Amino acid sequence: MNLTGTFTFDGPRTVVWDLLQDPVVLAKALPGTERLALTTEDRFEGVMKVSVGPVTAATFDVVVTLKDKVPPQRFAMQIDGKGGVGFTRGTANVELAEQPDGGTLMTYTSDVQVGGKIASVGQRLIESVGKMMMRQALDALARELRVRLEGNPHTP
Amino acid sequence: MSVETNDGAPAPPFTGTPAGSKATPYVNSRVQRNEDARLLTGRARFVDDVHLPGMLHVAFVRSDYAHGRLLSVDAAAARERAGVVAVYTSEDLGAYSKPAPLLVPPPPIAGLVFHACTHLPLATGKVRHVGEPIAMIVAESRYIAEDAVRDVVVDIEPLDAVVDLEAALGPEAPRVHEHLASNAAAHVVQRKGDYEAARSRADVVITRRFLYDRGASAAIENRAVVAQWDTQAEELTIWDTTQAPIPIRNGLATMLGLPESQVRVVAPFVGGGFGPKIMMFYPEELLVPWAAMQLGRPVKWTEDRQENFYATTQERGQVHEAEMALTKEGLILGVSDTFLFDTGAYDPYGLTIPINTQCTLLGPYDIPNYHTEFTAVFTNKTIVTPVRGAGRQHGVFVSERLLDIAARQMGIDRVEIRKRNLLGPDRFPHNHEIMFQDSAPLVYDSGNYLPTLEQAAEIIGYEQFVRDEQPRLRAEGKHVGVGIACYVEGTGIGPYEGARVTVEPSGRVRVATGVGTQGQGHYTVFAQIVADVLAVEVTNVQVITGDTREFQWGTGTFASRGAVVAGSACHAAALAVREKALALAARLLEVEPAALDIEGGRVFVRGAADRGFTLGDLAGKANPLRGAVKPGTKPGLEATEYFGPDRGSTANGVHAILVEVDPETAMVEIKRYVVVHDCGTIINPMLVEGQIHGGVAHGIGNAFYEQLIYDEQGQLLNASFMDYLLPTATDVPPIETAHRETPSPYNVMGLKGVGEAGCIPTGAVFAQAVEDALGDPRFEIREIPISPNTLFNLITEARRV
Repeated sequence: MNLTGTFTFDGPRTVVWDLLQDPVVLAKALPGTERLALTTEDRFEGVMKVSVGPVTAATFDVVVTLKDKVPPQRFAMQIDGKGGVGFTRGTANVELAEQPDGGTLMTYTSDVQVGGKIASVGQRLIESVGKMMMRQALDALARELRVRLEGNPHTP
Repeated sequence: MSVETNDGAPAPPFTGTPAGSKATPYVNSRVQRNEDARLLTGRARFVDDVHLPGMLHVAFVRSDYAHGRLLSVDAAAARERAGVVAVYTSEDLGAYSKPAPLLVPPPPIAGLVFHACTHLPLATGKVRHVGEPIAMIVAESRYIAEDAVRDVVVDIEPLDAVVDLEAALGPEAPRVHEHLASNAAAHVVQRKGDYEAARSRADVVITRRFLYDRGASAAIENRAVVAQWDTQAEELTIWDTTQAPIPIRNGLATMLGLPESQVRVVAPFVGGGFGPKIMMFYPEELLVPWAAMQLGRPVKWTEDRQENFYATTQERGQVHEAEMALTKEGLILGVSDTFLFDTGAYDPYGLTIPINTQCTLLGPYDIPNYHTEFTAVFTNKTIVTPVRGAGRQHGVFVSERLLDIAARQMGIDRVEIRKRNLLGPDRFPHNHEIMFQDSAPLVYDSGNYLPTLEQAAEIIGYEQFVRDEQPRLRAEGKHVGVGIACYVEGTGIGPYEGARVTVEPSGRVRVATGVGTQGQGHYTVFAQIVADVLAVEVTNVQVITGDTREFQWGTGTFASRGAVVAGSACHAAALAVREKALALAARLLEVEPAALDIEGGRVFVRGAADRGFTLGDLAGKANPLRGAVKPGTKPGLEATEYFGPDRGSTANGVHAILVEVDPETAMVEIKRYVVVHDCGTIINPMLVEGQIHGGVAHGIGNAFYEQLIYDEQGQLLNASFMDYLLPTATDVPPIETAHRETPSPYNVMGLKGVGEAGCIPTGAVFAQAVEDALGDPRFEIREIPISPNTLFNLITEARRV
């Protein structure tokens, strides 16, 4: 599964950077995240619950390792997820570029392999589920960003 | 029904009854199936119907990775779960963890290279395909066992997977078996004549590359094993969905260190075999009986459908580079074919499939020069063993497609080019000078090919269709096409089968044989054969198959051999019982045996029907409580006989098909499907037709719908019937059949096999018809399956050229 795209955050790059490194924020933003913690430097561990087609609420133990960090410009992630219905494994790259209007353009690419039962019965849906989760996560991050900048959780 | 011998002269049909008998024969008639009352009312026992007191249930932890190093298996949490009785990993098996036997050693072919790498009961050190079992959970219920699967923590270091056959042989390819120098599992060259010399004389040489991909056998019943160790009887009973209970009994006895007499394997009713349920010694088959002995309680495992997609063997991945050399008249001078054969992660079944491919490519044609060479390739995919057709369809696809392409290039009619190349009826027995899968040279025993082809062309209306109908429909904008393809099938191979026929004092006749039954109708055809010989009602003959306690010598149901080999043994045993009954009655009635008739379950003096005995009476008198059984005779009306042919008998046939293709959606509608088939003497035309119908449905699936899609990391992407498409009732047209009977000289009854025939030429005939329907010279089908999607891409590509 390859997920690539861009997303514009309405805020300065350093704030976006901090947001993307904060396990509390990420746990809230990533759909299905039950737990997420920074266990050692640059290593997040947690539990995610994902539903793909006929596989409902599959639980994965997830380890995300951050690599090649150039704050606040770019970082890479090594993603490893394991669960009763299969596994996910892959890499992702994130780049943050300052925009003239003060916003931040995030460009992301990822190549994630999905294996085991979840791949064999949910194959037709994996990519769309991946895209949906990504969109939900980015929307949640954008909301979080607004909260940080404005300090008001109720701003629409 | 026509009956012909090799020289075309009519021969008396085999009647099933010995000379002088007056009974109406059951053989060659549409006798209703003896087994259907039980099957249709739900009273037939399948393995999953076996419920025993105290029975435990099994679930397996299987690999999610196609290829990886198995670093650790932590089963501690699973063992602690309430209701879990035992968890076994490879380490826990101790000395029992040995590679499974090599089931079919390769035939003696000069220069043959073969590396045997068979599976272990549980993965050790490495995993080599998705679904390979890593640990076995035994629990009080299947629910608990399944939950405990999630408790096991398996640490696998993923390795790059070997998926593509050609890339697998590259120098950089990861190796499935690291002790080997490459992923080549075998290399075999067979030659007849001198292809290179033939090629140099040729007017036309057609060179093409052909692909055939994998499918599942998709039997309606998944695999299942139940085992019980009876401590008082000191007997291990195993109920197993196997096609070959006797080899399983023998192998398990050896592995478990038990005498064969202490192990009983029962293959009750089995819901479809199609090859993968052969004597595989699957991990589950090895482990369930072992666990039952370890734990002293009955143990059961039933495969679920998803496991079946990973863990039950599959077939059909091959890549061919083939060439046909012809004269300008369209006569074949020779064929050269070099191919790769995907054997999956292990190769326990040896080289049966690719050798079938080599042999079946020759078809009904006179091919004087032949070079055939293959490399078997290990991949990180499920193990490959024969599935109905077992490599034969690939050979037929290659030769039939080459003939089609040659015919088109030379402007020769497709039926005509075939007629010019058929072996004539005076060419039998015909030695092809290469080795067949049964380690005997490929010799066609008999056949009469031209009338088979002519009859198929006539039934489908080939000439009229090509001349009138196709142009007319094309003018209306319809894309209709006709296909016609021939095949020859080696069937009924040895080594042997046996049967015991017993007349009971009640007059009922019992027949026991070792082959297992998977729905073919064994309980009927064997009863027909025996009923004719003993002149009793067919419903009075009770057949028992697949229980080693009932009959313990034989091999199994495969290679379209049940009716031919076990049927011939039933016939021989029934004849022996008949002789015994006549001899006893003659002694008691003080007449010569020749003066006796046997009819309606009685033996009596010819012309004096009241002077005689029922067979039941004779059975009682043959087992007296006082007096002596005469020296040289044996008690009871019972006999056991065996039949072992030197080589298999050769069936043949022609499939013809009319299709309509919608070039916009690439959907194909099959308008008509005709099968003209020659399986020698027919025991039961209804059952032969049933075999053909099922085979054609299987073939249509292979040709158009069914394909196992593996990604580049060896993940199977469509392991469910949502995504893996089986043809349904609406996809399979009514099938028109015609029978021809050229008896085999290799057995008394003249039998040839039919179980696989329906699916062998289906891909070839389908491709030809679809190509014909589109009528675009730029467009050629060189791969199977040709799904609507693939077809659409081919059409689009051809239009771009």
